[in-house]
Amino acid sequence: MAILEVKDLKKAFGSRQAVNGASFSVREGEIFGLLGPNGAGKSTTLSLVCGLLKANAGKILIDGWDIAKDGVKAKNLIGIVPQEPALYPMLSAKANLRFWGTINGLNSDELEKAVNDVLKVVGLEDRAEGKISKFSGGMKRRLNIAAGLIHNPRLLIMDEPTVGIDPQSRNHILETVKNLRNRDITVIYTSHYVEEVEYLCDRVAIMDNGQIISEGTLSELLEQGSEYQELTIKLNSFSENIQSSIQTLPGVEKTFSLDEKLKIITSNAEKILPMAFETIVGNGGIVSEIKIHKPNLESLFLKLTGKALRN
Amino acid sequence: MKKTLAIVMVGIRQMLADPVYIMFLIGLPILMTWVMSFLPVEGGMYEMATLGVLVMFVALNIITSAGGYILEEKQNGTWNRILTSSTSYWNIMAGYFIKIFFMAFMQATILLLSSKYLFGAPWNQGYFEMIIVLIVYIFAMTGLGLFLAGFLKSQGQIQAVAMAVVMIGTMLGGVFFPIENPSTVIRVIASISPQSWAANALKEILTVGVSLSSLLTPLIWMGAMGMLLLIGGVVKLQMEG
Repeated sequence: MAILEVKDLKKAFGSRQAVNGASFSVREGEIFGLLGPNGAGKSTTLSLVCGLLKANAGKILIDGWDIAKDGVKAKNLIGIVPQEPALYPMLSAKANLRFWGTINGLNSDELEKAVNDVLKVVGLEDRAEGKISKFSGGMKRRLNIAAGLIHNPRLLIMDEPTVGIDPQSRNHILETVKNLRNRDITVIYTSHYVEEVEYLCDRVAIMDNGQIISEGTLSELLEQGSEYQELTIKLNSFSENIQSSIQTLPGVEKTFSLDEKLKIITSNAEKILPMAFETIVGNGGIVSEIKIHKPNLESLFLKLTGKALRN
Repeated sequence: MKKTLAIVMVGIRQMLADPVYIMFLIGLPILMTWVMSFLPVEGGMYEMATLGVLVMFVALNIITSAGGYILEEKQNGTWNRILTSSTSYWNIMAGYFIKIFFMAFMQATILLLSSKYLFGAPWNQGYFEMIIVLIVYIFAMTGLGLFLAGFLKSQGQIQAVAMAVVMIGTMLGGVFFPIENPSTVIRVIASISPQSWAANALKEILTVGVSLSSLLTPLIWMGAMGMLLLIGGVVKLQMEG
């Protein structure tokens, strides 16, 4: 059964069509990934689903409640986790959670239990009385998730919750999200980190130019992009010259660099590899690691849109 | 109601946790009131100056805190998070209104009490009338503050507009000193400035001892102005989302 149904959603800002006929549905209990590059329309879609923006056309039903007509009832079912922590920095973790619980309809009997419960979920029980302004970035992100969970929503919307944090906090957040399955909470998870979406999500929708261009389980989606492979070459001395030279090799669809790694999307990794190696050495580069990945969401995305996710 | 009160309380706690704000809200106006207490009591100059300080600081506080607080909430992301909660928009705005109104009323009360009990102001009448005038004045200024909050986009804009509104409304409105033979422009400013209406009404209550029935014109004017601005501001903020 679908807890969220989005039908032919449209939203324009002036002449720019941010969401252009997006349709998708999210099933109860699943972790649903919404994947797309910056500017694809993900955040606008989520703002429409949360009732922050009004759509120009289309329908959003949350467990059957129309967000445009029954906003309060629909919002009661939603929890949100914005990309940046949305908390009161001068107050303690507990005071913040009590506030977010109250304005989401918890009564005083439920409140204390809920506060202690969500602090435990995000592993911050020992910092309950601490002022938020003294928290590290990762701790703020975890408390941000607790604030979204405080009223035990049926649908939790998480907008890139791991951007810009340390690996330890990131892992903690990913495990927290994964464990939400045990609490019967449906999650919409947006990210442009493919590996997070692949790790967490049961189903994925790929968004570009305000439209859903593909939707399905991970294996269904990967079948669509099976002719592409991703070749990752780690270099000791990366240069723009190397990347632009490799980009011109026949059979190379796209190249992009990330953390001193050169990623090459190609339909024939075995053929490209010696040529790429020769180009790198010819440009004074030193290769320290080479990996050929089977088709993944990144390569599928390239196939569908002609763009890399992290451009 | 519980949700509205939660918004009021979290706002007040957040503000009171900031020592700079406390200084601005209470410390500075009390210092000014103390300075004014050295003015001669005869001829109404003392009342004018003290009440001028009161209406000016209340106006400054309301405009900067209404605009500044909502802007800070937007920057923190808490504004959007509150809007996505199951609290209705009108309950949310009621929370902001009550918080701003309450803080301004506390400030005005502390200033009046400190004038009388710390610095020996010779006022012995019209407390009920004074409270009514202050409530209506603060209502009008809160309406203006929320109206401006719908349009101002940065702390710089808020500071500039607050200063302009407060200076024009108090100085040119004849709050601190009587303006003899005013020009048409000055007359118009004095006739629309809530600071001018409030300061004159308070002065009459304290010096002459007028009753509420003779203050109907300033009360109705400030009330109507506050209501219109409040509705305008609340609708504008809703349109922005």
